[in-house]
Parts: sequence; structure tokens; C-alpha cells
Amino acid sequence: MTKRRTWVYFIPYGLWLALFVIAPVALIIYQSFFDLGQHFTLTNYNTYFRSATYLKMTLNSVWYAFLITLFTGLISYPTAYFIHQLKHRQFWLLLVILPTWINILLKAYAFIGIFSQAGLANQFLTFIGIGPQQILFTNASFIFVATYIQIPFMILPIYNALDDLNPAFVNASKDLGASTWQTFRHVIFPLTLPGVKAGVQAVFIPSLSLFMLTRLIGGNKVITLGTAIEEHFLTTMNWGMGSTIGVVLIVAMIVVMLLTGDQKTKGGTPR
Amino acid sequence: MKHKLATAYLILVFIILYAPIIFLIAYSFSQGETMTNYHGFTWRHYQTLFSDARMLAIVANTLLIALLSSLIATLIGTLGALSITRTTKRVTRESLLTLNNVLMVSPDVIIGASFLIFFTMLKIPLGFGTVLMSHIAFEIPIVVLMVLPRLREMSRSLLDAAQDLGATTRQLLTQVIIPFISPGIFAGFFMALTYSLDDFAVTFFVTGNGFSTLSVEIYSRARQGINLEINALSGVMFLFSLLLVAGYYWIQQASQKRRHRKREVAS
Amino acid sequence: MTQPIITLRNVTKRYGTHTILKNINLTLESGKFYTLLGPSGCGKTTILRAIAGFMSVSEGDVLFAGQRINEVPANKRNVNTVFQDYALFPHLTVAENVAFGLTLKKVAKAEIAERVAKALKLVQLAGYGDRAISELSGGQQQRIAIARAIVMAPKVLLLDEPLSALDAKLRRQMQYELRDLQQRLGITFLFVTHDQEEALAMSDEIFVMNQGEVLQSGSPVDIYDEPINHFVADFIGESNILPAKMIEDFQVAFGGHQFECADAGIPDNEPVEVVIRPEDLTLTTLDQAKLTVTIDTQLFRGDYYEIAATDTLGNDWLIHSVNPAEDGETIGITFRPQDLHVMRFGEKEAEFDARLETYEELEDDGVDET
Repeated sequence: MTKRRTWVYFIPYGLWLALFVIAPVALIIYQSFFDLGQHFTLTNYNTYFRSATYLKMTLNSVWYAFLITLFTGLISYPTAYFIHQLKHRQFWLLLVILPTWINILLKAYAFIGIFSQAGLANQFLTFIGIGPQQILFTNASFIFVATYIQIPFMILPIYNALDDLNPAFVNASKDLGASTWQTFRHVIFPLTLPGVKAGVQAVFIPSLSLFMLTRLIGGNKVITLGTAIEEHFLTTMNWGMGSTIGVVLIVAMIVVMLLTGDQKTKGGTPR
Repeated sequence: MKHKLATAYLILVFIILYAPIIFLIAYSFSQGETMTNYHGFTWRHYQTLFSDARMLAIVANTLLIALLSSLIATLIGTLGALSITRTTKRVTRESLLTLNNVLMVSPDVIIGASFLIFFTMLKIPLGFGTVLMSHIAFEIPIVVLMVLPRLREMSRSLLDAAQDLGATTRQLLTQVIIPFISPGIFAGFFMALTYSLDDFAVTFFVTGNGFSTLSVEIYSRARQGINLEINALSGVMFLFSLLLVAGYYWIQQASQKRRHRKREVAS
Repeated sequence: MTQPIITLRNVTKRYGTHTILKNINLTLESGKFYTLLGPSGCGKTTILRAIAGFMSVSEGDVLFAGQRINEVPANKRNVNTVFQDYALFPHLTVAENVAFGLTLKKVAKAEIAERVAKALKLVQLAGYGDRAISELSGGQQQRIAIARAIVMAPKVLLLDEPLSALDAKLRRQMQYELRDLQQRLGITFLFVTHDQEEALAMSDEIFVMNQGEVLQSGSPVDIYDEPINHFVADFIGESNILPAKMIEDFQVAFGGHQFECADAGIPDNEPVEVVIRPEDLTLTTLDQAKLTVTIDTQLFRGDYYEIAATDTLGNDWLIHSVNPAEDGETIGITFRPQDLHVMRFGEKEAEFDARLETYEELEDDGVDET
């Protein structure tokens, strides 16, 4: 009855979908078929898939993103688990969220200071007798800072999954004779896996495109897909090639989404 | 024993999380010029910051963009969430949701690059307008995602009841739906604000030469090396974040208190 | 007879190829308590939604006081609903909830306050106006939902399984209160439930439904004593239903014996079913027995024993007895001819009523007491 008049409300949202979701994605795919001379061509893809440099860069980028995701996960799961057992967990969770409100560039900037030649990290290394090292502008420093930045985004979904877990399952498991570790291994972890997957989604993809960190912390030694795109768009102005890398990044994103997406749960829903 | 280990682990994680921030702010009060060796207390960097007209203008721009884009995104996003729940076909709803989430999962560089192509094709000059539009665009899906669960929580019979009691479509919206989903709308606005203030990559692509936001400014200054004025800026921004958190909690507390008061009156 | 307040004429509702309501005809008079009774998914709530206006029917007419209201939207209909989950607005206080409809109608503030207070008093929650919905118990929310509907002074109040979320004791209390409220207000109640006890206790008239059809309508006593078919007999109350054969008028055979009964108008030798309510069966000595059974188990129910037994042919029997029996005991059971009720296969309500007419006068002198 009222349907006819209310579709007007959809117009702004519909326009947004068309102009800022569908059009840009279509444009970046379209652009990837143009070379510097604005000719329609497959050259960009040809160059990309035949060039050892581009392929190596892609592999590198995926490898670094994998490492960042792995370290983030290893640090975040126990953190989320322990926080969930605390008394004032809401407060501690807030403390996890708070650093995400500090601009990412300020955090990166802080590490420039900490990792510098005479910085805090090197003072510590000198203090324990190793002596100052070149820390800034290394691959390790890039991975460290990226992991640092991503940790809260991994803790949150895992914490939520733990919070959604019905405590009766844990009690049931213990009732059936499982030890704390067995309960964790066979009940808690499998049931909170969706949280881990959500965390992987939130961390892996951005890690492929953290171009500001590679510039500020990695000292251009690490080139991620994101760095390459930024380079092509804003420095060399080769938008066609940049878009081609962009399409590769979009494909990588879709693959990750499919791998970590909602799989059918065995034997009904876990609720 | 186990308990102690867990506590030690948590303490370590929180030290790592906060050390860089504290380090950053601590040096904003140092008399030196670099972030090595503390040289004694001074307000000098804050004085420099507050007399830096260019920086102050950029802060104003950033806040203006954040507030304006969040307001508009909240409006459009809420209408979008309403439209999505109104769809009757499952396929339509699923595809709308998928499209909605494209910008949520896309890497910032992709959003930035594709918006840059988009604006260039339409011959829209880069600057305040493009930054504002881009921010609105990437904030809309988060608003939708914050409002949708509230809409889903609202049972069908709640709407039936309002209609049963004589509510027209408009009254349904203003008297039942909006008040019910207002926590979601508020959370959406708040998240949008955070996203806007935090964004660097998208802005970096679409900002052009004449216009700058804080993130972009920090990036270009940080590339030139250490400048303790940035530390002072971090201090100010951290304080601002704390105030935002406090404000958020105060609003939540206040709404709870109101409920309490009602109970006291009743009994 | 007064004019019916609600009439459904040949109402059918389809979703795609699925038919939810099949040619429903029913009439509600002013000031009576009606119940739609049936298992979940039988279409009873669909009828309620059709009358309330939340849903349009595929075919047929919905009439309100003789006027066709198929096209009238829910917010313009003079009926109100009490929802199963109460549907109280969580962002409003109790008083604001009750006042909601009146506020929309732009009724004067003073009048709203007065009517809200009156409605709250009617549901025995005077003074609860300033509370938040979340502070109320389930039973209190239930009453507020009723108050919110009746404050609109509807001609018909629709109640969609309103008691299903309450515990047994509270539900019983609410049954009294609802019945009492209906009589005081003098308006029509249409109550939907799957609980036969609730339906029997409160209604003036019950419509028994299954699979989108009204199988039987009538007073609780009629429906209990003379169920039209196996489904109704089984759904309402507890019963022993046995395959039988109609020998001739007032004579029916089952369990290996022939018995006198109160039914007639059925062709001789037609296969039929016989219903006997457990409370109509009496335990007796073997020499006075109409049938002989062996006791399997018994449960003490407080005011009676519920006894499960098996007869010599292997049929199961349920007997309600004030006196206990002994497990494994072989014992006689007896019943009166009028306690037997014969049901024909596939007989419709109209046919059943017509058949009843033909022999009802004979019934009194045709049967002698045992």
C-alpha cells in the first residue's frame, strides 16, 4: 500500500551505489586496458604477467601480508581470550580500541623516532650489550609496525566471537571430562573460528596496501601492491598500469573473502 | 600460576600498544629537537603549533570535513538501511548488502585510485569537494552496517502494532522506527566520524594541491624527518580522542540515568 | 439477531502455489468471545491478520458491520490487536505506550490522561504509567498490551496467542481476567490459540481449524461432546478413538462387541469411528464389564488417576478414574450409550448438523439408561 511513495527514500542511497560503488570499480577495470598513450590494449596485463619484477613484487607483498596477519593473530588470540576472562572486560576492551583512534600516521611517526639511530630501541640494544643496529628502513621494522597497527582490528572480532560463545558449551565439555586445554582445542577454538576469519579479513587486505608504512618505515625497500599503485597513480602517472595492479589487488581481495567467508557449519548453527 | 602468566602477557601487550603513544606525547614536552634524549620540560612545541596558522587551518578543515561528511553519510546510510530492510526478495537484499560492503572491504588505495579516475573523468577539480564526497562515500556503508542490526531487532509486530493503533506511514517512521533505531544511527555517525578523522590513503589520492587534511599534512612533514611540533599535535589529538570517548560514555550514561529516574518516580 | 460485526465471506489466501486459507466463512456477533483454535500453521493467525488489515486476502470479502473493508488499511480499521510478543514500544514508557494510538489521533491531552488511567486501572496496573517497559514482568507486559489496545475503544479486539509466553499459573489467572474484561467491556473478542483448554475455558464459540479450513464451530460443550471427526476429537481434550462399524441406527460395533449408542442417520454397516472420553469410562467388576482390559500403567494426577490399559483385541484405552487400579490387573470397564460418539469419515460440518436434526427428537426416548 505504502510502497509506491517510500521508494523515494531509496534515491540517495541508490545514487551512492551507482556513482561511488559500481562506477569506480567499473572505471578501474576499464582504465586497466589503456596504456600511456590512451590506446585500448592488453599491454598492461601482458607487462604485468611477464615481468619478473611485478610478479616478485606481488609475491613479496602477499608474503609480507601473510606474515603480518600471522603475527597479529598469534598475539591477538591470547589477548582477546585473557581479556574476556577479566572482570572489567569492557574497560580493557576500550583500552584496546583507543589506540585505533590515534591517526595511523602519528603511530608510524612515533616509530620513526623509536627506531632511529639514537632512538629508544637502539638505546635498549646498547644497554643489553648488542650495540646499535640499523632498525628503521628494514623489512623487519615494516612488519613490526604493521603488526602493531593491526592488532586491535584482530582482537575485536575474536573477542566478539568469544563473547557470543554460549558458556554452556564450555561447561558441557568439562562435564564430559575434557581438560581446559581439550575444551579450548575442541570446543572454544572451533566455535570462535569465525571471529578469527573476520580478523584475517580485516588485517590481510589492508596489509597488501599499506603504502604509507612502506614509505615511512620500510624506506621503500618493501614494495607492496599498494605502494606500486600509489607510485603509478601519483608519481609516474601511468594510470593504466596502476589500474592493472589494482585489478590484481581486487582479485586477491575476492579470493581472501571467499576463503574466509561464511562456510556451512557442520551439524547446524552453533547457537 | 596460569593466572599470573595471563596477567603478565596482557600487561606486555598493553605496554606495546601504548608505549609508542606515550613516547610520542612525552617528547612533545622535550626541549630538544629530536625524539632522542629528553631535554627537560617545555610548552614550546605547543606554542609553535598554536601559532602555526597553516596547521590550524588544516585542523579546521579536517574537523569540518569529518563533521559534514558524517552528517550526510548518516542521513543517506540510514535511508539506505531502511530501504534494504524493506526489500521483500531475498536476492535483492543479498545483492544490495554485497554492494554495500564493497567499500568496506576494499583496500584504501583502490578506493582512492578509483575515485581519482572517477573525479578526473567527470572533470571535477580536486580539493575540498572531492575530499568531502569521498569521505561521505566510504562512510555510508559503515552507517548502514550499524543501523541494520537495530532494524532487524525490531519485530514485525512492533510495526503492525503501530499501524493497528492508527499510525500512518510517516508516523510509523518518525514515532516508532527512528526512535527505535536511534542508538544505531548514533553509533553509525560516531563510527563515520572516526573513519573520516582516521583516513589517510583515500584523501591522499583525491586531495589535489590546494587542500590538505591532518593525515596528509602529517605524512608530508614526517617524510621530512622529526619535528616535535607533530608530537605536540599528537598530544592534542590524543586529548581530543579521550574527550570523544568520554563524551560517548557520558551520553550513554545519561540515557541510562534517565531510565533509572523514571523508575524512581514510579516506585 | 443483531447484525454481525465481522463477516468473512469465501476468504482464500494464497502465497504462490501455497494455499493458507481455503474458502473461510465465519461470522462474529457483537459482544461475544470467539476463539480460533488449531495447531500451529493452521491459518488461524492469518485470519486475524486479514481482519486487522496487515494482510490482504486473495479472494473473498472481509466485512465490518456489513461494510466491505478489504481495501481499508490497518490504521483506519476500528479493530485492535494484542500481539503474541506484545510488541510494546521499548523506547516509550508504559503510559506513553498506552497513549500511543490516542496521541496519533490528536486526542486532547487531558482526555488521553484520563483514558490511559482508566485503561491501566482496567488491567489492574494503575500507577505503573511512568515505568519503562523493560521493568515489567511478562504478565504485566501482557496487561499493558491489552490496555494499549482497549484504550482505542475498538469494536473488536483481536488477541494473537497472548498468553503463550506466560507460565501455567499466570495463564490460568489471565483466562479469568480476559473473560471478565470481555464481559465488562461488552465488545467482541477474537482469541487465537493452540491451547484447547484455554479455548474451552473462555469462549462463547470456538472455531476449530486445521490446514487452512474451519473444521467445526460451536460452543465449547458441543465441540467437546460431539466432535465432527478424528482430528477434532483428538485435538480437543483426551479421547479414546476406535475403528467401528455402524450396525444400524443406535447400534455400533467395536472391540469385538456390539453396543447401544446415541447416533443415527448413518447407513447400516458403514465403517465409522467411535470416541469415548476417558472420564466417561468407569472401572467395574468383570461380571458388569462391557469390555475387559488389562492395566498397563497409571499416573496420579491429583484429582484423578490416569490409567493406560489394553483390551483383549490390543486396543489402547485411557481411563480417568477417582479410584486407583493395580498394574497388571484385569478389570472391566463400562460406559453409558450417550457417552459413545460416532463419527463418519469425511463428514462436513453442514452434513453433520443436518444429520443431527433428523434424529434429535428421537434421542430422548430411543435410548434407555444403563
